[in-house]
Amino acid sequence: MTNRQIKQLAYEGLWKNNPIFVQVLGICSTLAVTNLVLNTIVMCAALVFTVSLSALTVSILRDFTPRNIRMMIETLIIAFYVIIIDVILKAYWPQMSENLGPYVGLIITNCIVMGRCEACAISNPPARAMLDAIFNALGYSFILLIIATFREVLGMGTFLGFGVPYFSGQYWDKWTIMVMPPGAFFVLAIVVWTFRTVQMSQEDKKK
Amino acid sequence: MKEKRWFPVMYMFVITAIVSTAVIGFSQYTRERVQANMERTFEIAVLKVLPGMFEPDLSFVELHKKFQQEIDKPTDKTAGAYTLRKNGTIEAYALPIEGQGFWAKIKAVIGIEADKKTITGIVIYEQTETPGLGAEVAKKEFTDQFENLKMSAQDKPIAFRRAGEELQDGQVHAVTGATQTSTRLEKIINDNLIQWLEKVEN
Repeated sequence: MTNRQIKQLAYEGLWKNNPIFVQVLGICSTLAVTNLVLNTIVMCAALVFTVSLSALTVSILRDFTPRNIRMMIETLIIAFYVIIIDVILKAYWPQMSENLGPYVGLIITNCIVMGRCEACAISNPPARAMLDAIFNALGYSFILLIIATFREVLGMGTFLGFGVPYFSGQYWDKWTIMVMPPGAFFVLAIVVWTFRTVQMSQEDKKK
Repeated sequence: MKEKRWFPVMYMFVITAIVSTAVIGFSQYTRERVQANMERTFEIAVLKVLPGMFEPDLSFVELHKKFQQEIDKPTDKTAGAYTLRKNGTIEAYALPIEGQGFWAKIKAVIGIEADKKTITGIVIYEQTETPGLGAEVAKKEFTDQFENLKMSAQDKPIAFRRAGEELQDGQVHAVTGATQTSTRLEKIINDNLIQWLEKVEN
């Protein structure tokens, strides 16, 4: 693969076809785990791991997999990696496992994973499939981190658990709604709106 | 070869076998650690329901030591309950309870005062109820209602009431929208308490 192709994949995954603000996939976990930055980081790491390795495995097996059962195979492979993450968290980081609750297991049903397997990995060689998956997962991650940062700072006055000047002080009336589920909807909508506006104005300029 | 009818079946079978072997192997490898984590969660739950035992600042190791030193293991006389004693007399019981929830087993520890009439607290340490609805029973807002809750003198020690209703002895407000979980949790607590009250030595 040439440098140009890699750049193209990065541009597609991170910006042009960003899973959150263009494809609007994986919104369930976006809303659920973005109340604290640390939870979000772990969730994003788990997603990068799952998407990239699932895409790699699906791509390696693509010449042998019969078309009519390909989705069963994909789901099986995705489930395998997700269970591995779940067991690792339960064994070595039980606190985080409890924080994330059922959402680690729900990565299996995250549309981004299945979407990348179907759209790219099933018909492309391993290297391309894996890079495409990693960039898509990173595209998901950076949006989630933006949302989580706003929610944690405004709602709790902290960042990664450490107090933020001004926001953790007495003059800042904490917006509790931000760490509750409705806060996620507001921040997500504003983030999608902002990014789409920037994107559209860029496209207009090109014309 | 791919056109053969048996190929997809065989293929699925082989992939499933490989993947499940890997998962089983991996979970065997981490089993001891997971087990230890679960025991720790249980010990902390016991400390939390007993009055004045849980200190949030202590590390896990210190809490484990505290559990080992100060909590007495269940005996026939206590009918399965852990006990907190001062100078030999029982101050409070911590009774592990479990039963079927809406999706899977719910496991909890209930703290009971020595007179066996008042609940000192409850910690639900294992549950897989619906997130946002049934799973709310494990949260502080719900479980705090059990602190110093007098059991009802009637045949059912506790009862769940709708949010907003007036409460009498042994009654708590159920989580709104979690009908199934509430019904089952109420039954788990009552069944276990009634059974225990019959067996435990006075």
